[in-house]
Amino acid sequence: MSSFVAPYKGKPAMLALFIDPHQLVDAIVALREQGYRGLDAATPFPVHGLSEALGMGPSWMPRVTKTAFFTGATLGLAFQLWANGWTWPINVAGKPFFSVPASMPITFECGILCAAICTFYAVFIAGRLYPVTNFELLDSRITNDRFALFVPTGGQNVEATERLLQKLGAQEVQQLG
Amino acid sequence: MSRDNTLQQQADAARREPPMYRADLTLTQVTRDISAPITGEPNGWWWAGFLISVALLGMGSAIVTYQLNYGLGLIGLMHPIMWGTYITNFVFWVGIGHAGTLISAILFLLRQRWRTAINRSAEAMTIFAVCCAGLFPLLHVGRTLLAFWLIPYPNFRYLWVNFRSPLIWDVFAVSTYATTSLLFWYQGMIPDLATIRDQEKRPLARKIYSIFAQRWKGTAADWHHYESAYGLFAAIATPLVLSVHSVVSTDFAVSTLPGWHDTIFPPYFVAGAIFSGFAMVVTILSILRKAFHLEDYITLDHMELMNKVILGTSMIVGYAYILEVYMAWYGENRYDWHIYVWIRFLGTYAWAGWLTIFCNVLTPLIFWFRKARRSLVVMFIVSIIANIGMWFERYVIICTSLAQDFLPSNWGYFRPTIFDIGVLVGSFGLFFTLFLLFARFVPTIAMSEIKAVLHHPVGEISGSPTLEESHV
Repeated sequence: MSSFVAPYKGKPAMLALFIDPHQLVDAIVALREQGYRGLDAATPFPVHGLSEALGMGPSWMPRVTKTAFFTGATLGLAFQLWANGWTWPINVAGKPFFSVPASMPITFECGILCAAICTFYAVFIAGRLYPVTNFELLDSRITNDRFALFVPTGGQNVEATERLLQKLGAQEVQQLG
Repeated sequence: MSRDNTLQQQADAARREPPMYRADLTLTQVTRDISAPITGEPNGWWWAGFLISVALLGMGSAIVTYQLNYGLGLIGLMHPIMWGTYITNFVFWVGIGHAGTLISAILFLLRQRWRTAINRSAEAMTIFAVCCAGLFPLLHVGRTLLAFWLIPYPNFRYLWVNFRSPLIWDVFAVSTYATTSLLFWYQGMIPDLATIRDQEKRPLARKIYSIFAQRWKGTAADWHHYESAYGLFAAIATPLVLSVHSVVSTDFAVSTLPGWHDTIFPPYFVAGAIFSGFAMVVTILSILRKAFHLEDYITLDHMELMNKVILGTSMIVGYAYILEVYMAWYGENRYDWHIYVWIRFLGTYAWAGWLTIFCNVLTPLIFWFRKARRSLVVMFIVSIIANIGMWFERYVIICTSLAQDFLPSNWGYFRPTIFDIGVLVGSFGLFFTLFLLFARFVPTIAMSEIKAVLHHPVGEISGSPTLEESHV
């Protein structure tokens, strides 16, 4: 969802700004109870309980890291086995060409390297992050000191929504679209 | 568990702990204070520090250029001591880096919330220290143009590196460490760069921060994945940081030289690394908090906790020193006894051995006193002494074992030249140049993390522009 990017091009909606993260979470719960759907929130720091209030499942990041770690480690081990045990065996002080303990450091580092790079890019893919020169948020204070709530108003009474948001503690309410 | 329970428990937990930051700090104030050095003009002290650092860096670069042309004979390397100050500097700088990862990863997993004030600058320090460290093995190989032979790359002669060698483990460990630290650091910085992007008024600066902030919006889904990834990064960086200095120590421990061939080396090196790294964090932060007026964020409590870590790790290092001597005595190995006791504490290198003991074991003991732990002057001096001591610890380890090996006809004594010292000073120039640029262009404190642990994380109402005014 890119509902917080200016200029707004989506369906009619409302943007409510709160100054207190607790009010934001309470407002989301109240709005969902009243049948509002498609809510989204943007905050200056990770607010605990927010993803649960919005009904998000667990993040899929751990699966990326786990898979990448074991893939990287396996490739690292296989490469050492192939290079030193098969294609270019060097006799160093009569030691075995390939032995598991001596290959553990590099196996481990390959796993970590792969896990780190994949986790890093997974966050970029999950949040659709990419570099642009002229990014504008709907309100520049969302990354500073305001907690923004995005409420699609399709099929809802606009005035009633606005009154409800104000009652829930919103400092400012603005219509979008 | 319902949402209210979680929030309630968090609030309860926060109330039980003494407040870490001033209770009246608002979100707006945090942004204002921490972005001030970036959006404002640098003061004279910054320029003075920067120019001195660049001058030192220039001097170091000139010596290195001369050395590449002239050869390794320029520095004090001479038979039998073929690992001199370059390897000492390498181990020293890798060690310095360890505190950053410890703070960002291990203290995160241990739920030490005080780390939020110092993790960004400590991680920056890690990356710059690893930059300095990475240079030295490349210079030390002599034919630096061929240093890429260390990397197993496909070549038409089908030659591969020897993966059983700790020197190749080092290549993998240090490069993985540098990459992972850089990615972790940048990932953690994206939300703060977005904050700067949205505060920035100058058009060009805004464009640059916009590029590096990667369209960060701070939506619930963004934070959800970000937090998950942050925890995972911490989980993979924790074993990584322990592995890096362990691998560095195997450069020595896997050999058969007395003084190097020692099973205690991996934990002993890691403890020493954390000790020197925290000392460097204390040195830098005691200046940074004053220069950028961040006393409200990097409080004396933070400094005291770091000094406790210094005290703790210094005792582990002291234990390792004693254990080495004990094992030499208990093992009845005359070569071990010769290195560990005779050369290091009684003979030719006794000055360095006792300097190490004085700096790393005795001086930090002053931190048993609460007054000393909370005195900026004391901690600044002790932290610098600790790092001098840690440099000489590596010097002692490397030089004593090489200076007098099994054959007395081989014996020698290491004399660093002026160029050895120049390159070391130049590496400090590189480190501080990078650090000062970081302090100028990047939020030195993780704003989003500070905001999350404030006592009352609310925004200010008065003084902020309204929605209509700020809307572009």
